[in-house]
Amino acid sequence: MTQPLITLRGVTKTFPVAAREFTALDDVTLEIDKGEFVAVVGQSGSGKSTLLGLISGIDRPTRGEVYVGGTAVHTLSERDMSAWRGRAVGIVFQFFQLLPTLTAAENVMLPMDFCGTWPARERRDRALGLLERLGVADQADKLPSTLSGGQQQRVAVARALANAPAVLLADEPTGNLDSRTAESMLELLAELVREGQTVVMVTHEQRARRFASRTVALTDGRLVAPEELVHA
Amino acid sequence: MLSPRWRKVVRDVWLHKSRTTLVVLAICIGIIGSGAVLNKWALLRRVTRGEFGASNPASATLRTDSIDAALLQRVRELPAIRNAEARRTVTGSAKTDAGWRTAVIFATNDFDKRIGVLKSEHGEWPPSDGAIVVEASSVEFSGAGIGNPLEIQVGDAPAVALNVAGIARDVGLPPGWMEHVVYAFATPATLARLGAPAALNELQIVVSNPALDREAVRRVADDVKALVESSGRRVYDTDVPVPGQHAHAGQIDSLLLTQGAFGLLALLMSGLLVVNLITAMLTGQVREIGIMKSIGARGGQIARMYLTLAFGLGLAACAIALPVAAILGRMYARFSADMLNFDITGFSIPLWAFGLQLAVGALLPVIAAAAPVLRGSRISVGDALRDFGILGRGDSEQPLLLRRLGGVTRPLLLSLRNAFRRRQRLTLTLVALAMGGAVYLGALNLRAAIVGSIDLVFGVHRYDMVLRFAQPHAADSIVVAVARVEGVANAEAWTNGRAILKRADGALGNAFPLTGPPTNTQMLSFNLIAGRGLRPGDSNALVANRRLVVDDSSFAVGNDVTLLIAGRPTRWTVVGIAETGPSAAAYLPREALSALVANGGATSVVVKAALEGPASQLDLIQRLRAELADAGLEVQSGQLVAAQRRVVEDHLLMVASFLGVMGQIMIIVGGLGLASTMSLAVLERTREIGVLRAIGARHGAILTMIQVEGLVIAILSWAIAVPLSLPMSVALGEAFGRVMLKVPVILIPNAAGMLRWFVVVVVVSLVACAWPAYRAMRISTRAALSYE
Repeated sequence: MTQPLITLRGVTKTFPVAAREFTALDDVTLEIDKGEFVAVVGQSGSGKSTLLGLISGIDRPTRGEVYVGGTAVHTLSERDMSAWRGRAVGIVFQFFQLLPTLTAAENVMLPMDFCGTWPARERRDRALGLLERLGVADQADKLPSTLSGGQQQRVAVARALANAPAVLLADEPTGNLDSRTAESMLELLAELVREGQTVVMVTHEQRARRFASRTVALTDGRLVAPEELVHA
Repeated sequence: MLSPRWRKVVRDVWLHKSRTTLVVLAICIGIIGSGAVLNKWALLRRVTRGEFGASNPASATLRTDSIDAALLQRVRELPAIRNAEARRTVTGSAKTDAGWRTAVIFATNDFDKRIGVLKSEHGEWPPSDGAIVVEASSVEFSGAGIGNPLEIQVGDAPAVALNVAGIARDVGLPPGWMEHVVYAFATPATLARLGAPAALNELQIVVSNPALDREAVRRVADDVKALVESSGRRVYDTDVPVPGQHAHAGQIDSLLLTQGAFGLLALLMSGLLVVNLITAMLTGQVREIGIMKSIGARGGQIARMYLTLAFGLGLAACAIALPVAAILGRMYARFSADMLNFDITGFSIPLWAFGLQLAVGALLPVIAAAAPVLRGSRISVGDALRDFGILGRGDSEQPLLLRRLGGVTRPLLLSLRNAFRRRQRLTLTLVALAMGGAVYLGALNLRAAIVGSIDLVFGVHRYDMVLRFAQPHAADSIVVAVARVEGVANAEAWTNGRAILKRADGALGNAFPLTGPPTNTQMLSFNLIAGRGLRPGDSNALVANRRLVVDDSSFAVGNDVTLLIAGRPTRWTVVGIAETGPSAAAYLPREALSALVANGGATSVVVKAALEGPASQLDLIQRLRAELADAGLEVQSGQLVAAQRRVVEDHLLMVASFLGVMGQIMIIVGGLGLASTMSLAVLERTREIGVLRAIGARHGAILTMIQVEGLVIAILSWAIAVPLSLPMSVALGEAFGRVMLKVPVILIPNAAGMLRWFVVVVVVSLVACAWPAYRAMRISTRAALSYE
């Protein structure tokens, strides 16, 4: 039997808020297989981004275990976590989060630089290849401020793929894009999945479900059946 | 080719040019301040040690009757003596551009001296008969020039114009320009032409063992004294300086110590400024640190990036600061060398001094940045992306007073509260500004204390001028002759001499001057520290000055001391201790002293002029000389008390002036700190400023808000600087008193000084906040609200 790529077992995450604890995720158990395109949906504050943060190691569970590609993420030290994250996970943010002083190609080269993946002289070629694949090769030497939102998000995806991660985590990747650009971004992610990439995407978008192979719904930090989800 | 992360570092530097410039400038100021002091210290140490050591200074000098070649030979044959030479010192007057001034002429038979070696700088050396060589530090002051005649008068002999044949430097002499004395060198034959005694009477010796301490040298000098006395001569006094130490070593050390301390303070202040700036730089980079960590950067990699950036900024600052510090250090060393009568030409700053400055300059920002960088690089990705900042939420809790403050307008309240939002940054800015203020006010207090002390010292003298006679004369005849001169309000004849303390164990102390006024003197008002002054009926009473007591504790009130006066041991009772100036001195009843040194006569006259002002007093001193000469009372030299006071002031006030300059440097550092703090405040509050604009705040309101916030910090620093100047004044006064002149500690800051400093901090604040306020004013609502 094949092991799931991502496993969350009894994961709870609480945050201290004023004098009490706020439970963002409550006893969540979830498995995601390699090559799946999972859309995580739910209302604001339901725990979607927290779930992504736990898978990427950005946050640590208060209780429970998180495994990605066989690595017990919840046990990693801060130092090992960064190195692991750089190689195993690619993250795409809602606001792109490109470094403003680096060109598109340099932004894509940066993860390779930090993690020492690919020989130094091959990094630019790989970055250009990824930008080509995402349709923004002609923007390679431009600074992010000169790119449109859609172009920036494509560069962000290229950067997330730079170290050929096992899983691509996207946090509201279309949240800051117009509907046409959002559609093409979702198509792009679906294409990556078809090529074998595992994608976990947090989204508000109803249409995102059309592209996802599975939808996971969250309400008040608990997993519910998608059809139980009440939309505001 | 640079990897992307280093390209990011370089481009960040370029993107934040103004902030980077501020950091570089802050390091520059610290390095320039401390580097200039270090360079000066290194140069001065080289020069003073090198030149003073090379001059082969005398281990001791004995004043006796005439010394001939046979006696000199016998002294040289003593096993403890390496060398001995004879000279004569004659005091007279020289006609300078500014009138007649005291002249001290050194004469010897053999100018190929091996003790106190002189360095010829220009013209002829040694002087030929009928010519003189002027000491280098007296040249500018006297207006003497090679080939020109210089009129010299000794005693009542007619003035003789001697040709200035050359210029030479004697590093063992205090600078002539500072002492207001023309030092010159001549042959005994030239002395004879001047009408002065030509026989050599000062015996300079150098001991064989250079490792001997002062007491051991004194014992050797005692043996020489015994030898000289065995030849039937009298030894009047013996002077033993601290071996290997320049006469001004104490002054040099205290000056260097004070300057070194302030150099370090400037460095510390710039370090604090760098901490402030780098913390702020990292605060602005928190989100980017989060992004880098999210794509695989480890904390160590992030820390290396920012520490390398700090190192690079340090190197850039060094590239600017090191040459400036070298120039300033050299200028300052030249100035100080001038003060100490050394020539700095030809000495280069040692490489280790450059190396040290480079190391400190490059590492200072790294050390200053270490804590904020480590904190920043350890931030979790989650916190970084949520942009909680390095210091948690960043804003500190408001002081209770500000939370409850009523009766002020909302914009003013906003400025007041804003000032306290970043408590750590506020503290660092306040420390820099308040320290500058404390040094400035402390220096003002010290200056006032020095002037007050000089007033006290010279307040002792109730006369305007003193004339010294070549030979003793009856006191009454002197006073009668002086009283005949128009413009004389009062006059007293005094007797002067020199003494050596003879300790209980037989060891001799250094020679010091004695002054013998009449016991009912009206020209002397002792500033007593202990005991009493001289009284009519006193016969063996002695009033010591504080410096004499510091040098030898035997001079306690009530103690009996044995003094060698004119070679004879005499017993005196110390009845009082007075503050009379920076050099050791003692006061005895005239009658008692004159019986020992002047056959019952007086050797000087002190005169109170009826009119004030230098011109009338100079005229009076000339008329007095003429009148006394007519009466057969030969005047050797005459000096105005005002001129003596200027000499003392020149010596003492330079320390206070230096401290004033340090205070000014520190206000520049403080101003930069305030400018950086306000720039960062504007940067961090871009969105907030946008909101204020959106709800109707105009340009003027935004500008006022920033300026008022800066003023709140500046005024607060002023309020801290005032009490902080008290311990600063105590420390400066104590340090000054230990080596220079004991000064009263002034604890109440000078009101005018406080007001001046208030104006300075307000102006500094307005200037420092001008750019941040302008930047804030230019922020558009749209740009501010979309600011990430």
